[in-house]
Amino acid sequence: MNLLRGQRAKIADLVPTGQRLTLGVAIDAPGLILDFACFGLDAQGQLSDERYMTFFNQPSSPCGGVRLDAPLGDQAGFAIDLARLPPSIVRLTITAALDGTGTMSRIGRGHVRVMDGSREAARFAFSGADFAEERALMLLELYRKDRIWRICALGQGFNGGLAALVAHFGGTVATEISAPPPPSPPKPSPAVNLNKITLEKRGNSISLQKEPHTAHGEILINLKWRSVSGAKKGFLSGLIGNNRTDLDVGCLYELMNGEKSAVQALGNTFGNYTSPPYIALDADDRTGLSASGENLRINGQHWEQIRRVLIYAFIYEGAPNWAEAEARITLKMPGQPEIEVRLDSHRNDRPMCAIALLENQGGAVKITKLVDYHRGHLDMDQAHHWGLEWVRGSKD
Amino acid sequence: MAISLNKGGNVNLSKEAPNLENVLIGLGWDARATDGQAFDLDASVFMVKSDGKVPNDSHFIFYNQLKSPDGSVEHTGDNLTGDGEGDDESVQVTLSRVPAEIQRLVIVVTIHDADARRQNFGQVSNAFVRIVNRDNHQEVVRFDLSEDYSTETAMIFGEIYRHGGDWKFRAVGQGYAGGLRALALQHGVNVG
Repeated sequence: MNLLRGQRAKIADLVPTGQRLTLGVAIDAPGLILDFACFGLDAQGQLSDERYMTFFNQPSSPCGGVRLDAPLGDQAGFAIDLARLPPSIVRLTITAALDGTGTMSRIGRGHVRVMDGSREAARFAFSGADFAEERALMLLELYRKDRIWRICALGQGFNGGLAALVAHFGGTVATEISAPPPPSPPKPSPAVNLNKITLEKRGNSISLQKEPHTAHGEILINLKWRSVSGAKKGFLSGLIGNNRTDLDVGCLYELMNGEKSAVQALGNTFGNYTSPPYIALDADDRTGLSASGENLRINGQHWEQIRRVLIYAFIYEGAPNWAEAEARITLKMPGQPEIEVRLDSHRNDRPMCAIALLENQGGAVKITKLVDYHRGHLDMDQAHHWGLEWVRGSKD
Repeated sequence: MAISLNKGGNVNLSKEAPNLENVLIGLGWDARATDGQAFDLDASVFMVKSDGKVPNDSHFIFYNQLKSPDGSVEHTGDNLTGDGEGDDESVQVTLSRVPAEIQRLVIVVTIHDADARRQNFGQVSNAFVRIVNRDNHQEVVRFDLSEDYSTETAMIFGEIYRHGGDWKFRAVGQGYAGGLRALALQHGVNVG
């Protein structure tokens, strides 16, 4: 069944159980960053219980009636079990909001579909031509009316983006407070800041489209962090070590020919810029005091030989304290806005953080923010199915 | 206590409100809360004979012709935004002055410029039609259309019709494509 904008139907007419279904969302939006969410609303259309906003940071509602689950082939999705929702929740609104620049008129084709198991029961298709200056959209909603759950294809939105959307649901968005800059490095020029894309949330990805027949330039990955030495000097810290933090940037890579390894200071595998793997680490900042930080360079001239690169940061020495280290990773490519990732989801029991995955997608560089924390190289390798063998090493 | 009708239901106005004479047809809907093109909805009344056609074009009461020649039906004006409490548009009817040949008053709402604005009734929320006794301000009957929306651009909300010597009201909730023009043609109006 194809749903037109404004069209309504009864859930029971689409899904035999009338209660269990999965909503899948996909929007073709090159160069745009989209966040999807499901708002569980009360009879007044308000988000009276913030736990019923289901999104990447809150993957399930308390009742389990809404949880993140994307059907095969979709970018995002929500598994819905209406019977588990409390009576106070009478409306589930699926939304898409732009993170970063752009408007919804720039999206390509998109859809929200209702899946009954693996069967598609209904689809609401739309495109950028349906929108103008909107930056956040209400795509579709399930709602209870006269004790019957129904569906409505909305396709309406707000120029004010996520903040306007949340305000519509009776909530407020906290103003983002940027972290204080590290003390030693010089402040970046404002011109760079204006263009900067901050991938704030895990799972965001953007594709740096490659023009046909033109090679990429240098992809520069820079790690800057703040030494936390001297923060606590005491008897116990003396026993544990010299209380100095050493943070390393590195990567796992896989080439098109199947060769796999790592580039990192540990083990002195600094890589090579002009011959395979075309990835090189140019310095090992052991104190966090270097103004330039640590730089990992990927030779974009040879991007066609690289299948994927997993960028990570690793606390080699010192107790893991990501909050105090204030680590920031920036990715730069010629002709592209700078991308910044802050290591802000603190897991101080895990010294390793996988930051971003760069994948070769038909010659384009697809970047996905990860920020998942691991106990070590082996854990991270297994989590991302790299398949390297790991032995313990140390810097002399 | 007003009667609430479902789609297709009807009520005998003369029995519910004895001696009903001065009637207000109140129509309402919520404007969109989102950004994008505004909605402009228009109410109209076709005064039709038993064959479903108007006797002549002056019995099509709409934004450009607010009053019937006999004075029995009067549109009280266009509300461009749909803001505010209560009715967005209303039509006043003096039942005793409705000419004998007029069998039904067909109450329709259309979305102005719907095709160009890519709008339809499915995007309108909380639409209703209600019949009020103007002499005592009592609501006699109400029809909430919210679940009978269609993706069409014109909709017959309801009709007031003669039944024996009584007046009745029927909740219609039927959508049509083609906007006001199509409905006018269907009811025998010569559209220029």
